Amino acid sequence: MNNIKNNFIIMMIFALIVVCSGAVLAEDTVELKMWHAWTGQDAFAKEVLLPKIEEFQKNNPNIKLKIQVIPNDNYRTKLRTQAAGGQIPDIMQTYPGSEVQPLVEAGMLMPLDDIINYWTDDLIAKETLKAYTFNNKVYAIPAKVNYTHFAFYNKDMLQEAGYDKWPATYQEFKKMADKLKENDIVPISLGNKAKWVLQSVYFSTIADRVAGADFLDKVLAGEKKFTDPEFIKALNIIKELADNDYFNKDANSLNDMEMRQAFYQKRAAIFFGGAWDIGGVIENAKEQNMNVGIATFPSIVGAKSPQALSGVTGSAFSIRAGLSEAQQAAAFKFLKFFYSEETYTDLLRTGSFVPAQVPLPDDISPQFQSVINLVNEHQIAPVYDAVLPLDLIQIINNGLQSLTAGQMTAEELAQQMQDNL
Amino acid sequence: MDHIYKHRKKLIYFGILPALLLYLAFVIIPILISARYSLVEWNGFSAPKFVGLNNYADLFKNSIFWRSLKNNLIVVFASVLGQVPIGFLLALLVNQKIKGQHFFRTIIFMPVVISAVIISLVWSMVFNYNFGLLNNLLKFVGLGSFIQNWLSNPDIAMFSVAAVIIWQFVGLYFIIFLAALQTVPNDVLEAAEIDGAQGWKRTLYITLPLVKDTILAAIVLCISGSLKTFALIYVMTNGGPSHATEVMAIHMYDNSFNAMKFGYGSAVSIFIVIFGIVLVTIVRQLFARFED
Repeated sequence: MNNIKNNFIIMMIFALIVVCSGAVLAEDTVELKMWHAWTGQDAFAKEVLLPKIEEFQKNNPNIKLKIQVIPNDNYRTKLRTQAAGGQIPDIMQTYPGSEVQPLVEAGMLMPLDDIINYWTDDLIAKETLKAYTFNNKVYAIPAKVNYTHFAFYNKDMLQEAGYDKWPATYQEFKKMADKLKENDIVPISLGNKAKWVLQSVYFSTIADRVAGADFLDKVLAGEKKFTDPEFIKALNIIKELADNDYFNKDANSLNDMEMRQAFYQKRAAIFFGGAWDIGGVIENAKEQNMNVGIATFPSIVGAKSPQALSGVTGSAFSIRAGLSEAQQAAAFKFLKFFYSEETYTDLLRTGSFVPAQVPLPDDISPQFQSVINLVNEHQIAPVYDAVLPLDLIQIINNGLQSLTAGQMTAEELAQQMQDNL
Repeated sequence: MDHIYKHRKKLIYFGILPALLLYLAFVIIPILISARYSLVEWNGFSAPKFVGLNNYADLFKNSIFWRSLKNNLIVVFASVLGQVPIGFLLALLVNQKIKGQHFFRTIIFMPVVISAVIISLVWSMVFNYNFGLLNNLLKFVGLGSFIQNWLSNPDIAMFSVAAVIIWQFVGLYFIIFLAALQTVPNDVLEAAEIDGAQGWKRTLYITLPLVKDTILAAIVLCISGSLKTFALIYVMTNGGPSHATEVMAIHMYDNSFNAMKFGYGSAVSIFIVIFGIVLVTIVRQLFARFED
């Protein structure tokens, strides 16, 4: 009986201590709400970014991060809608260019002037932060460079069609695709239900090359028009790929995951994807004993920037304007820790491209080394949906789908884009 | 007597009040706010700019909007002419004294309680061009020439989607009609039988008029449900290909939350409200005339 009583008293005291210490902690603790879109399926998030966040929390028990993870497709919509209601978290992942611009213009984000010297110009070149710079102020620090265009091809399938090399020119590419079709193989696997794939992956690089890497800037400045022949030529390449039946027939009702599946299941010889696909392709190729090559779109006659490769910086965090002093200090501390030289080196190891100037680690995989060599042959050029205003993104995404479904001509789409500029 | 009635009326109003307040706060007032937003140009961040009826002018000039209205009407017709009659027939069948009545009732109602997203994913697989159940079945029975690109062909995608919508909601109307049929008194039916009304005649002249009000309610429900259809199509085709399956709700969503044109989006939603009211009024008028 006595024993139980004693136990009870000990428990009460213990509970009291816990409650008190909690209260003491609460006084010094800074709480920061954080949103990001890394669900942890990709190597760069699983192995680098998410562990970094955990490590930060372990090292800083007095800074409490309340994290909400929202999958990529919904993240942008959610952030925009919440921002329209004036309710954004303290630290949030933001997307480059036209996506983050309205938040900046509404004064919702804090310029990083006070700490920007930590990165520029030794670690990151100021020019690299262009997509997050407005009025000479930087509003976010990116972790990665996402090249949105690579061609992944099944070497064995190409060989069967008589090609032991990736075709150098678009003319040759078409001949090869026709040959693949004769062999009853779908040349290109495409899943464009979500509508961004044709625009981000295909069209951005094709248009940057054909019409020139500076074309988009010139159009936005009023010096060029979407109805100019070079832009229509780029649109017609997409139309040609569809008209020649190089894509699988159900391209407009599959998502990008199903598109990759078809490639892995050897139902198609080629698929175009972004840098985010590289890790998965290398891994899957190993598992299934597939012989996969990585290239970019073959060269097009008359291209103005033949070496352009569409890419944009991403995985960036911004800070909300109007934080308390303690919160701001905590947020700065987090950014400095999160975007450190060590992070960028670790990211390189997982096969990601980084915006920072850090030396390549020695233990990098040979496959990734060859992709880096490939990228080094190219020049980074704008991704259309990172630069165009939001309503034009809708128009071009829908328009490219209409183009492939034979519901619209290149001239009509170009005119519609110009009208809505 | 008069006094008591008056007193009761007050009580009735008092009883309605909580529901009315909730309805006002979450339905009527948001509609009014939407109506106000439909008169401005607003991207969600900047200060709203008053533009009068410009958004509505844009709306009526936009061929994509007309296409979404047409697609929506396909859904309405498919639902009213599909869900209601099929649901009614099934209810008539199950209402017979047949074996396994409970089993059929559960099976037919099942799709209604499954989430729209799951239904969409399952049917996307059924419709898949390469390895979908439907095309494989056609091939198997030797109807290979009927194989279609069900969701990617802009000319038929809308009908494929409409078929799924019918499939999902038949169960709902089936349950409503079954409940109504079970309220039809047996002695009336027996009396009819004695008077010589058998089989179809009995259904047509006795059962149908007795459940007429339920049918009207079901049609009204069906129209309003079809006008706000969204999730199923959004997941299955995302409104594509080339706007072929874009209904008004998707048009509204894309414009408000992806293109950030909240004024235009509000104009679309106000149009949906007005269009719904008009459609339901027409149906009620038709029924009233039918009664005469």
